[in-house]
Amino acid sequence: MVFFLKDIEQVKSISWSFLIQDINTSLSYNPYCKSARYYDVFKHIIISLIFGKEIILLDSDFTDSELKKLTGYSEYEKFNQVIDKKNLPIIGNKEELIEILKKTSDDWKISLFTSGTTGIPQKVTHNFSSITRFVKISDQNTNSIWGFAYNPTHMAGIQVFFQALLNGNSIVRLFGLNPLEIHQKIQENNITHISATPTFYRLFLPCKEVFQSVRRITSGGEKFNEKMIVQLSEIFPNAKITNVYASTEAGTLFATENDIFTIKAENEHFIRILDDELLIHSNLMGSTDRNIDEWFKTGDLVEVISENPLQFRFISRKTDMINIGGYKVNPLEVEEAILSLPEIKNARVYSKSNSVMGNIICCEVVCDNKEITESSVRTFLQSKLQEFKIPRIILFVSELSTTRTGKIKRN
Amino acid sequence: MKEKILEIINIVLENRAKEKLTALSPKMHLRNDIGLDSLDLAELTVRIEAEYDIDVFEDGIVNTVSEILKKLKSK
Repeated sequence: MVFFLKDIEQVKSISWSFLIQDINTSLSYNPYCKSARYYDVFKHIIISLIFGKEIILLDSDFTDSELKKLTGYSEYEKFNQVIDKKNLPIIGNKEELIEILKKTSDDWKISLFTSGTTGIPQKVTHNFSSITRFVKISDQNTNSIWGFAYNPTHMAGIQVFFQALLNGNSIVRLFGLNPLEIHQKIQENNITHISATPTFYRLFLPCKEVFQSVRRITSGGEKFNEKMIVQLSEIFPNAKITNVYASTEAGTLFATENDIFTIKAENEHFIRILDDELLIHSNLMGSTDRNIDEWFKTGDLVEVISENPLQFRFISRKTDMINIGGYKVNPLEVEEAILSLPEIKNARVYSKSNSVMGNIICCEVVCDNKEITESSVRTFLQSKLQEFKIPRIILFVSELSTTRTGKIKRN
Repeated sequence: MKEKILEIINIVLENRAKEKLTALSPKMHLRNDIGLDSLDLAELTVRIEAEYDIDVFEDGIVNTVSEILKKLKSK
């Protein structure tokens, strides 16, 4: 029988009929969704779609201080509301559920938080058409089995989820597993599709096994290099390999089979390159609390390969944002958290390139108190920041390094 | 060298409030046995590189303690 979800943290796989029964008997709804269980997040999204109400996705590892900063609250029970069953359909089977979901109302919204290119974390809201812009529904996709390699509350994860959901596919969680478990899950479930960051694939390599069942490999979120394409095509000999460019603000925008993106003629008027930076027209964007200009500055620097058709390759980031295995970290946010420790007089957060995660966060701190150690700063930050934002190397210095213009050095 | 690697691995574990190791065996798998995740591995490379000036993960991910020792000895 086709299952809906297999998650290593749950003994049994979850069938579509269990999911439907669970949705039919759900009595309450909360627009805020914060759970470490993938099933809870997925079910919550589906109920919001049927209900036609906004859902706000929160990372399960957000600390209370991050939650307060982002939403104004750290407890969400008071937002619970009773579902009025009279106006909602009783769903009979998977096909009926998918038909209902395809007709999701324009009132439905999904919000998530981005670290934001400006540095201040902000809420980004998408509607059904913008979140499903790249979803392909076809008979060819009916039997796909997805290896789910993202956090379910992040943009990339949501996009994979919708692709799988609207095609009635099965999802196998791969995120957070070790390489041996991942290999095993792919073979055992005959996984056909995997979408992940280059860091996920990097941790997968070198690999002696060959996975015949995989038909499609998608990579995004970080720079992708030719060497990795070659390595991946060896272990996934039957897979088409695609590199996508996506952001929380805009969702998936372009795809390519190598590292050069070609813009289709119909999209050319939504894309502009100014001073080597990629700009995207607001028509392609989700909405934010801030007013956005007509053109959104992505902060991604590109090298133009040809003008007609427009072809480019990503070079680096213009902003100070640090990309840790696909997760964007704002150094200013990390510095602010470190400086909230009274003994620390000054702090500089910067990145160092790293062969495992692409980059690693480091910091220098100025502190006279000998009782403050690298380990105690790290422990303190665990209550303030998500783990991937915490500096992995902390140096105690008498003064911070600065650039020639007196600005704090970031690299 | 093994003692130094043990010390470095223990710094990484301690910083994550994970249990430290009392001894290191070459056969130990960094992720499956020692319980390091990808962020820990990234930190481990930086700390080993600071000590030995070698990026042990440069040519791909190494999986066991003995693979780290081999890379360092081949320097």
